[in-house]
Amino acid sequence: MADSGKIPTTEKTINPEIDTRAVPSRSFLLRWMSTRAAFILIVDLVLIVFFTLLSKNHVFFSVANFKSMLLNGTEIMLLALGLSMLLGAGEFDLSLGSNLVLSSVIGANLMVAVGGGQTVGNQLPHVILTIFLGLLICLLAGMLFGLVNGLLIAYGRINSLITTLGTMGIGLGLALLFSKNGQDITGFPIQLQSEFGLKTIGSFPVPALLALAIAVVLWAIVAHTKFGRHTLAIGSSRVAAERAGLRIKPHLLKLTIIAGGLAGLAAFVDLAHFQTTVISGHPNDALIAVTAVVLGGTLLEGGRISIFGTIFGVALTMILRNGLVIAGIYSSYQLVVVGVVLIIAVGLDRISVYRRSV
Amino acid sequence: MSVDTTPQKGIAIAAEHVSKKFGHVQALRDASIQVRYGEVVGLCGDNGAGKSTFLRILQGIYHPDSGRLYIDHHPVTLHSVRDAQRLGVDTVHQDLALAPELSVIDNMFLGHETLRSGILGRFGVLAHKEMSEKTDAALRELSIALPSLTVPVRDLSGGQRQALAVARAVMWSRSAILMDEPTAALGARQSEIVSQLIRRVAQSNLGVLVVSHDLPRLLTFADRIVVLWRGESVLDEPAANLTVPDLVATMVGYRSGEAI
Ligand SMILES: Nc1ncnc2c1ncn2[C@@H]1O[C@H](COP(=O)(O)OP(=O)(O)OP(=O)(O)O)[C@@H](O)[C@H]1O
Ligand SMILES: [Mg+2]
Repeated sequence: MADSGKIPTTEKTINPEIDTRAVPSRSFLLRWMSTRAAFILIVDLVLIVFFTLLSKNHVFFSVANFKSMLLNGTEIMLLALGLSMLLGAGEFDLSLGSNLVLSSVIGANLMVAVGGGQTVGNQLPHVILTIFLGLLICLLAGMLFGLVNGLLIAYGRINSLITTLGTMGIGLGLALLFSKNGQDITGFPIQLQSEFGLKTIGSFPVPALLALAIAVVLWAIVAHTKFGRHTLAIGSSRVAAERAGLRIKPHLLKLTIIAGGLAGLAAFVDLAHFQTTVISGHPNDALIAVTAVVLGGTLLEGGRISIFGTIFGVALTMILRNGLVIAGIYSSYQLVVVGVVLIIAVGLDRISVYRRSV
Repeated sequence: MSVDTTPQKGIAIAAEHVSKKFGHVQALRDASIQVRYGEVVGLCGDNGAGKSTFLRILQGIYHPDSGRLYIDHHPVTLHSVRDAQRLGVDTVHQDLALAPELSVIDNMFLGHETLRSGILGRFGVLAHKEMSEKTDAALRELSIALPSLTVPVRDLSGGQRQALAVARAVMWSRSAILMDEPTAALGARQSEIVSQLIRRVAQSNLGVLVVSHDLPRLLTFADRIVVLWRGESVLDEPAANLTVPDLVATMVGYRSGEAI
């Protein structure tokens, strides 16, 4: 009280015109250049130059190679997009790779059952129906997986890391059960691969274009919709979101279903790409997706999502993987590299958290 | 300033003979309070007197064991915070009221987002411009100055954040605003700003109930003071008739029962 007389009270803060500390906002491009997404994009470009110079006859820098990177990156991208949304709300998902495998096994079994094994191929309506049902069941299986995660996390109040560590194992176990102990399933209509999995428009693989379109939709949701704001608010401060009257549990459920659905779509892309299930091919998918998302600037604690950062982060992991293969480096080293990059990514994440807190 | 010259106005929020027991702890025994429109009522009491419990009952977080609640003259039963909000009662918390990563505008409209008209609105697309203009107007109305409306809230000072939390509550409440120690985390200057803000909020004809341990300051901006002593409201007087020693004496219980 004693000071209220001495201190030239509050005119300074009270008059809005007088607070001149607001820095005039820089142009959009300049602001964007200082984001993590832009930084990762630059790293991408540097790595492309690096691997091009390193590769024999510069084969790294070829249409064929970019096409292969895009195609290989599509599934990781779909997983990473779902994970970005979940991380934005402060939840984690380790089970996305396992979801992909289980959904692909279920979708494959259904397509074989409906399509009748190898004999399909002639009657077009039957083929279309088979493929469409395959897509539908992959999506549904993925969403159901997400729903289970969401129920455990939101309503069971089990930590998402632990929940998805558990469902990761369960999912993989079920996938083995449904595939006679991990024997890959084949025998879908060949059109699945020729008309979707390996189809290109120009030089762009159709599945990659689909993933990019989904990324753009998610970007719009994050930047411009109520759903996006609520997601970020829940991740930023769950208590504040609760006090503002947001319904947190149903929202988390929606997010896990979206992430699961995207994993289901990735499962369908997997089937279309390889014309078979690849049951043992995804043990590191979740790890790579986390790396890509965190590299891109989405905060581990939630509250910030960078969809473009995720795109460039996925690109980075693909460039690294592909570059190392072309440079002839053993796959065991590749795992080491991915691990190192993940730790660097989390390090960057810590630095930005630290900078925000000072 | 705090003389009771205002004509008797309607009741914004009130509680009568409320009690609440937690296990073996009788947190509230017989607590009553009335806050009229346009009035600031200060609620004080020793640690553990039951102030926070009382406020939470008025917010709908706890359900009282006995007693009656009124909002805007009407008897009410509250089952959740959302119930209270729907009836026009909002709360300013000491902390954790805002989402630090979201901007000033987004925090102002959190849970009350304005959507674009037409088809875009049905997809949940936000009306950024309208929300920005309304935020600006609301902050101006309360003379709150912030460096920018698009910065994340974590970049604001503690006082600015608290002012924003108050502005947010003003924007969405129609009857009363409840505040639990709104200045506890603030320095002298920022406390002063928030106190002035509380007065201006009451002038916009909302009832304001403030829990505070800062008795000298409370006496400068409250119209009336209610003292809780071991879960009982033992004093309800215009602030102008009270001094800090009076209050302290009542709070620790020396003069409880004999009223002033
Ligand atoms: N949820 C609860 N469960 C059990 N006991 C509780 C609970 N909430 C409050 N109490 C008890 O009720 C009594 C009143 O607590 P309350 O928090 O309302 O006091 P207060 O007046 O706000 O104190 P302070 O000034 O320290 O904030 C205390 O003895 C406290 O231990
Ligand atoms: Mg308290």
